[in-house]
Amino acid sequence: MRRSRVSQISLAACGLLLATVILLPFVWALSASFQTELALVHRPPSWIPHPPTIENYLYVFTGHVPQAYEVRGLLRSPITQEAPQLPTGFANSLEVALGVVTLNLLLGTLAAYTFARERFRGRQAAYTFVLGSRLLPAMAVAIPIFLIIKALDLLDTKLALVLIYSAFTLPFTIWVLTLYFQSLPRDIEEAALVDGCNRFRVLWHVVLPLAAPGLAAIAAFSFLFSYNEFLFALLITSSTASKTVPVMIAAISVNPDASYTLIAVGIMISVLAPMALAVFFRRFITSGLVASMGRT
Amino acid sequence: MIIHSGVRRFGTARGAGSSGPYRLATLAPVLLLVGLFTVFPFVYAAVTSTHKVLLTLPGQTPFVGLKNYLDVLADGSTQIAVRNTAVFTGLTVPCVTVLGLLVALLLNQPIRGFGVLRALVLLPWAIPLVSAGIIWRLLLHGDFGALNGLLLQVGAVHSYVPWLSSPHLAMYAVIVAHVWREFPLPAILFLAGLQVIPGDVADASTVDGARAWARLRYVTLPYLRGPLLIVLVYETMISISVFDLVYVLTGGGPGTATSLFSWYAYAASFTFLNLGQGAALSFIMAATLLGLIVAYLRIVRVGEDEV
Repeated sequence: MRRSRVSQISLAACGLLLATVILLPFVWALSASFQTELALVHRPPSWIPHPPTIENYLYVFTGHVPQAYEVRGLLRSPITQEAPQLPTGFANSLEVALGVVTLNLLLGTLAAYTFARERFRGRQAAYTFVLGSRLLPAMAVAIPIFLIIKALDLLDTKLALVLIYSAFTLPFTIWVLTLYFQSLPRDIEEAALVDGCNRFRVLWHVVLPLAAPGLAAIAAFSFLFSYNEFLFALLITSSTASKTVPVMIAAISVNPDASYTLIAVGIMISVLAPMALAVFFRRFITSGLVASMGRT
Repeated sequence: MIIHSGVRRFGTARGAGSSGPYRLATLAPVLLLVGLFTVFPFVYAAVTSTHKVLLTLPGQTPFVGLKNYLDVLADGSTQIAVRNTAVFTGLTVPCVTVLGLLVALLLNQPIRGFGVLRALVLLPWAIPLVSAGIIWRLLLHGDFGALNGLLLQVGAVHSYVPWLSSPHLAMYAVIVAHVWREFPLPAILFLAGLQVIPGDVADASTVDGARAWARLRYVTLPYLRGPLLIVLVYETMISISVFDLVYVLTGGGPGTATSLFSWYAYAASFTFLNLGQGAALSFIMAATLLGLIVAYLRIVRVGEDEV
């Protein structure tokens, strides 16, 4: 059925409006990160950096203080020592997130396959316990978890974050993967079992190759959760060696001395990895979301 | 997708390949990790909530029963936080849901270039909540925000508006940022729901001459009932527990204008160091959320029986 030209054009206009609403905030942050402090406070500000400068990025990545901040006379120069730590924070965030992804792929896959295919006493109880654990809001368990980490002597370490985030992401991972494994045909697995393969070999050689899209989805979810988490990172980490990007940019943004041009650089550093992931893993993220939440 | 039906009880090649030690080895790490960060914290927080625990008074933590709960419920600032959270949730959930639905209906249209749009739509949802908050701080800043610049240029305002530091406007600023961040999830779920509507149903109603609104109301929406209920409950939970956004955008202020419940519980524990009351507040929130989750599971179960 052919749509009229008018409705085609009006739909395209709506699409353009949607794209603008999604992208404009990002574009402004990008623009601000290439502006000088003086240009940014100009009323009204220019959306195209004028003059454009890479000095904010230079400061963050090399520690070279931008010229613009040295000529402000009696005014406090709006610069922050925290900004040059951002590259370290980014590395910390990646390390933590990849650690959580690894644990999810390893432990989550093994457990989910057992839940999906084995029959044993206590299975339903164990499954309900794992999934039910996510009913507790993070804020309710924040202080006790802080004390556990302290008792384990893991305060201010990346390992502590990896453990906490894994405990928070594994239930969702196991849920999605158990459903996924159950949806795969059983014939080949049964044949392999009869031929004398054990569960682990069946999982490794037969099931995992088929489950690749499901694994990609849970890898993406656990990465995004860990990379984005703020409350526990705020409570557990205190030094540059373990602070993650959200903690650092939050500290910079609530610091009244920090220039918004540097804050904008922090935003750009913080959003690039998850944006790239969202674009490249879109298919898996979407199908994972729909499989776990939309199947009614 | 339901807990109760997640593990189906069908048989397996019994004995072949399966063994007790294998099951234990595959499940134990997960159960240990989840247990360590769930059971102990839950018990500990429950105990804390019934004791007077002030970090400013170390060494004196008497059992006080439900006094913390009664105290926080009677406290005027709790009531403000509850009211703020109700306003916030009451406005964000309908906005997020309706916007998500509209975006899904739009993206479902076969227009060239909309493939790119479907990729873009995930972006606000994928970035850290903290980043989303700071981006909006940059846009809404009272001294130089880009929004003020735009409004001034088109003549909508005569001077810069302090969006974030005005007691009347700050809440709406947080709401706008939250809606921008949250609408992608409902949009994706609704879009998936739209795509399973059989083509002949949609075609038939078009041939019948059903007008757009009637088609939406009587053909499309019934198919979206499941996702709609899930979105409503899930987004309510998300709105009630919002924290990161308040932390970077307004810090609960100005005054108590954006003191939302999660933020308030955090401040009780970590600013006023009253861990007993902080734990009591967290449990009140947990109970509220649990009620919603029970409702969620029931809704899903009902939905499943009918389909």
